[in-house]
Amino acid sequence: MTDYRLGVDIGGTFTDILLIAADGTVHTRKVLSTPDDYSRAIEEGVAALLADLGVPASTIREFSHGTTVATNAIIERKGVRVALVATEGFRDVLELARFRVPKLYDLNFRKPPALVERRLRFELPERILASGAVRRPLDMAAVDALAERLKTEKVDAIAVCFMNSYVNDAHEQAAARRLQELLPGIPVTASTDLVPQIQEYERTTTTVVNAYIRPVVESYVRALAARMRDIGVEVPLMIMQSSGGILSAERVAKSPAFIIESGPAAGVVGAQRVGAKTGLEDLMVLDMGGTTAKASLIEDGAYNLSPDIEVGGDTSASHRLIQGSGYIVQFPTIDIAEVGAGGGSIAWVDAGGGLKVGPHSAGAAPGPVCYGLGGTEPTVTDANLILGYLNPGALVGGDLKVDYKAAEDALVRLGKRVGMDTVAVAHGIHRIANATMMRALAAVSSERGRDPRQFDLLAMGGNGGVHAVGLAQALGIRRISVPPVAGLFSALGLLFADVEHLMISAYYRELQLIAPEDFNARIEPVWDELDTLLSAEGFSGGGQRDIRAYVDIKYVGQASSLTVPFARYPVDADAVAAAAEAFAQEHMRTYGYRSDGERLQVVSLRVVGRGVPLEPRVPDRVARAAETRVEEGTRDAFFGGDHGWVSAAVLPRSALAGGVRKGPLIVEEYDTTTVVPPGWRASLDSWNNIVLEREDA
Amino acid sequence: MQIDPVTRELIYNALRTIADNMVVSVIRTSRSTVVKQNLDFSTGIHLADAQLAVQGLSLPLHLGAMQPALNGILARHGDNLHPGDILISNDPYEGASHLNDIFMYKPVFSDGRLIAFMCVISHHTDMGGRVAGGNATDSMEIFQEGFRIPPLKVYEEGRPNETFFALFEKQVRVPDKVLGDFRGQVAAVNIAEQEMHKLIEDWGADTVAVYMQELVDHAERLTRASIAELPDGEAEFTDYMDDNGMGIGPVRFQVKLTKKGDEMLIDWTGTSEQNGGALNPNFACTQSCTWAALRTVLSPDIPTNAGFYKPITVTAPEGCFLNPVFPAALGARGAAGYRVRHTVMGLLAQYLPDRMQACPGGSEFAIAIGGYYKDRTPFMTLEFHNTTGIGGGPDRDGQDAGPFSIGNLANTPMELVETEGPVMFERYAFIKDSEGAGEWRGGLGIVREYRFLADEQTVQVRSDRAFNPPWGLFGGKAGRGQHNTLNPDTAPESLPTKFIRVLKREDVFRAEMPGAGGYGDPWTRDPELVAEDVRQDKMTLEHVREAYGVVIDPATLEVDRAGTDKLRARGPAG
Repeated sequence: MTDYRLGVDIGGTFTDILLIAADGTVHTRKVLSTPDDYSRAIEEGVAALLADLGVPASTIREFSHGTTVATNAIIERKGVRVALVATEGFRDVLELARFRVPKLYDLNFRKPPALVERRLRFELPERILASGAVRRPLDMAAVDALAERLKTEKVDAIAVCFMNSYVNDAHEQAAARRLQELLPGIPVTASTDLVPQIQEYERTTTTVVNAYIRPVVESYVRALAARMRDIGVEVPLMIMQSSGGILSAERVAKSPAFIIESGPAAGVVGAQRVGAKTGLEDLMVLDMGGTTAKASLIEDGAYNLSPDIEVGGDTSASHRLIQGSGYIVQFPTIDIAEVGAGGGSIAWVDAGGGLKVGPHSAGAAPGPVCYGLGGTEPTVTDANLILGYLNPGALVGGDLKVDYKAAEDALVRLGKRVGMDTVAVAHGIHRIANATMMRALAAVSSERGRDPRQFDLLAMGGNGGVHAVGLAQALGIRRISVPPVAGLFSALGLLFADVEHLMISAYYRELQLIAPEDFNARIEPVWDELDTLLSAEGFSGGGQRDIRAYVDIKYVGQASSLTVPFARYPVDADAVAAAAEAFAQEHMRTYGYRSDGERLQVVSLRVVGRGVPLEPRVPDRVARAAETRVEEGTRDAFFGGDHGWVSAAVLPRSALAGGVRKGPLIVEEYDTTTVVPPGWRASLDSWNNIVLEREDA
Repeated sequence: MQIDPVTRELIYNALRTIADNMVVSVIRTSRSTVVKQNLDFSTGIHLADAQLAVQGLSLPLHLGAMQPALNGILARHGDNLHPGDILISNDPYEGASHLNDIFMYKPVFSDGRLIAFMCVISHHTDMGGRVAGGNATDSMEIFQEGFRIPPLKVYEEGRPNETFFALFEKQVRVPDKVLGDFRGQVAAVNIAEQEMHKLIEDWGADTVAVYMQELVDHAERLTRASIAELPDGEAEFTDYMDDNGMGIGPVRFQVKLTKKGDEMLIDWTGTSEQNGGALNPNFACTQSCTWAALRTVLSPDIPTNAGFYKPITVTAPEGCFLNPVFPAALGARGAAGYRVRHTVMGLLAQYLPDRMQACPGGSEFAIAIGGYYKDRTPFMTLEFHNTTGIGGGPDRDGQDAGPFSIGNLANTPMELVETEGPVMFERYAFIKDSEGAGEWRGGLGIVREYRFLADEQTVQVRSDRAFNPPWGLFGGKAGRGQHNTLNPDTAPESLPTKFIRVLKREDVFRAEMPGAGGYGDPWTRDPELVAEDVRQDKMTLEHVREAYGVVIDPATLEVDRAGTDKLRARGPAG
């Protein structure tokens, strides 16, 4: 019997469920999320999908999951009662934060409240200097006394973060160990158990976030596993981390701060794997959904990691470079720029007669006017409908009836206010939404000195294919891929990711003072631990454990570090020299200069262990099992400029199998629409991506 | 040319992207903490006639600064501009701000026609002068403050002005940081110029020029519409700084607002005369800070550009503290810039009492620690802690450590400071009982305590509000004022708000920064809110009894209702 792999991605409104067979045949189901207990929608959705297929749960041999449970627990403040233990003099670091203002001139802005109130923040006598030297020893008697005190405070979790513990974690670890001994029922998180990085506020808040959501994520994982067992799914639950690797749920439950960007990360991993399969090493990835658009960059076959992520941040902030509206989590996170432009983004007129789009969104409820669910303000989706890009009868493969007249009326009203006819205003909205998305794409490319013309565009999300060509034209990009199942792509990406363990340990010393043996002495225990772990997880064959060591380096006195690999382990003098050179090159690329006379500071060591599966994770071709609900025909669509209204062929993805078709075309599918204007042509590649190319390319 | 709202929005977005790319480029390449952590820089794009069309991420202090400085540059070089030129100035007497801010502009041409200027202002860690960091408050003349650069070309048609660079390197204490940041500015305007050329290629030079003007006009329309929604009227307010930076004070900040129709007039007549010291802001800075504070009551949709400035006239008599004449020193003018914003907030509270908060906490505290290691390599640490928390009112408490929304300077992580110089911190914490009491209380004051670890270091501090603490509104009390203490736990010595001293190894400096003002009568504050502050260890039993007339049971930390009623019936002592 055919067996399946199961991917489930919980988004804001919907839970996407996807089964894939070894031959790449995909079955999906989109169900409403159940925020009171997210695992319920999963159980019901999976059971229903299995019933549709008429196959037993025992055919599922893998279950990979992307979830917003951790993020929601923070945003909705549903974490537990946490005590924070800090160095004497510094218990307020958490609440003082960084004094960043994401919204200038808004007197009503309040930063999010500290996750641990002042009365539950405690101090211990101890102090370590920036050099790692002990200035004041840890007072163990005070630790014992604090444990007594904590018993009476009835806390559910404890976070420990000391000054400069990223250089020398001895005090922090000793205090955390002792507290755990004395308070066995209460989980203790030390900052150096997570990611030992410089900056006391950011490290403290990461530790606190982890402690705050740990019991929530633990119980969610338990509940989900139990529900899945109830319906006969026995395989271990794997969860996507923000860094792009999956891990067993038990391990994730101990460091839940690392799954904040679980779902979006899965989409980027999926894009990167598809790119590798189809020979696209340099990709800009655009994911346009209902409320926001997300952009990321894949370069030389790899995605970028940023050192931290802000949870609960506000995408409508005056500038995305100013943090402060959410909680910082220091963990390597796939770098994704997000802007408030989605299908639900509302078009409006400002007091000076300017036409604006977003960042306010009609979301999924009431949604665009054309959904007929009570929305009255025209959105990007309404504009796309009037332009003929979307099916005027129904969306989502016929599941959602469309109220064309209501959308048209709303746009007529808006057009009158800016002195434009309905079509011109609709086309204006479409282009302004593109301009907003350009800002996200620029954030991951030109802002980093990358030339967008060197990249292909991969468009996903329900609306990615509608806007892709306009964006590509503006960026000078000549080729676009729209993958199959583009509207549930994160659920697919979950199944392409590898098991990946990331261990970071602090090692703060000047490079010149470190002998290769010193590196090896520190790497060895972590290396061995990962080797054992991966074996226990089933990666026991030869070549199945891909373990690599990296070092984080900066110039002495510099603020941020860069990560470079060691070419081999055990490390020798040549490997150290090569790492130093790789650092200088990466510094040149990232910051525009290298400074060979300056001393190098090692900050930390990373060991990454990847489980290499015996069978390939990515099939040779992916196709939706039932893809032919679209009736072929024609529809008038508006393309502006020299084209105006043009009759466009409407067809399903499978119709492109016959060969290259010239635009204008509209490819309609269950979860997405791809618009091909005149001057572009469409075809399918071997993986079943729609490939759009400029005629003159 | 017929104006089309879609084209306007598309060109606006493209220009914003260019301005933002300059921001990111500066952050990427910069070497100093003040740029990377504090984001002390701004970017913008101007029309050929110097009007500001678009601003990127920018400090409120730079809100109106870019245009006067460009006018200064055009006055000298306007008839001699060529593709590939890059011009700079830091001279406040030719339109710039204070010496540490280098204003840099690159003209963009299309077929020989000047279309635009790309601008990056960056705060540089050091500009020479008598005190490291350039923040001394007691300078008498600008000549003491460092390297003054008149408007000049640092690149001429792409060729660097080597004389300038050779000279510049010798004038500053930390040339690698300063020249590194300077090169970052150059890289940013160069990239922006290329992107501007692409925009011109896409739309045509005429269209870009017309729409840049239209962006200005559109902003003016939005500003006028927003002003028109406010009631006509007049209001006045007075605030004070303790002294002028040389111990002479208080300095009076007197402001009057006249609002009629869609225009506003803000007049600083009545403000103290200029009389030495380096705290006085030049007029461009006074204007910027006034505009910034006014933005809090205007529509958030108004973009910052020349159109925003037009309906709002700001005046200050020449020779007064807020419009000083040559050769006044201006290095520490940032502090007075905050006081300008506070005074305008107080003014707006008189005019729109149900919209404004009491004075934010803080004393515009800045510290520069400089010296040499044994091997004679220099170290330098510069920190700003301008504000502490938000003032109370009108409908809620001021947030403790709430960031001030008309200034966006972040603090510096202590662990970073400790890696960069011979300093360690003993404390960074709230100060109990330091809020301005009120029905809605202000945020608590904050203490930051430094221990010095080099044999010798020169420590220069700028602070204020020891004698004129952050004011309350409508019966609310002022926050606790600034206290500076040397060696508080061993041989305490009270220090003035502004000083320069050579301190020794293991000396400790404690800076206690003021709490924010309260709003409304504290004796009407909900006793439950008072009890919560006591339970959170933010206030003491004695303090809440005196300041709020609330009695708390010391055993349970619950409100003693009977005791409170009795005390409140009697009223505050004195």
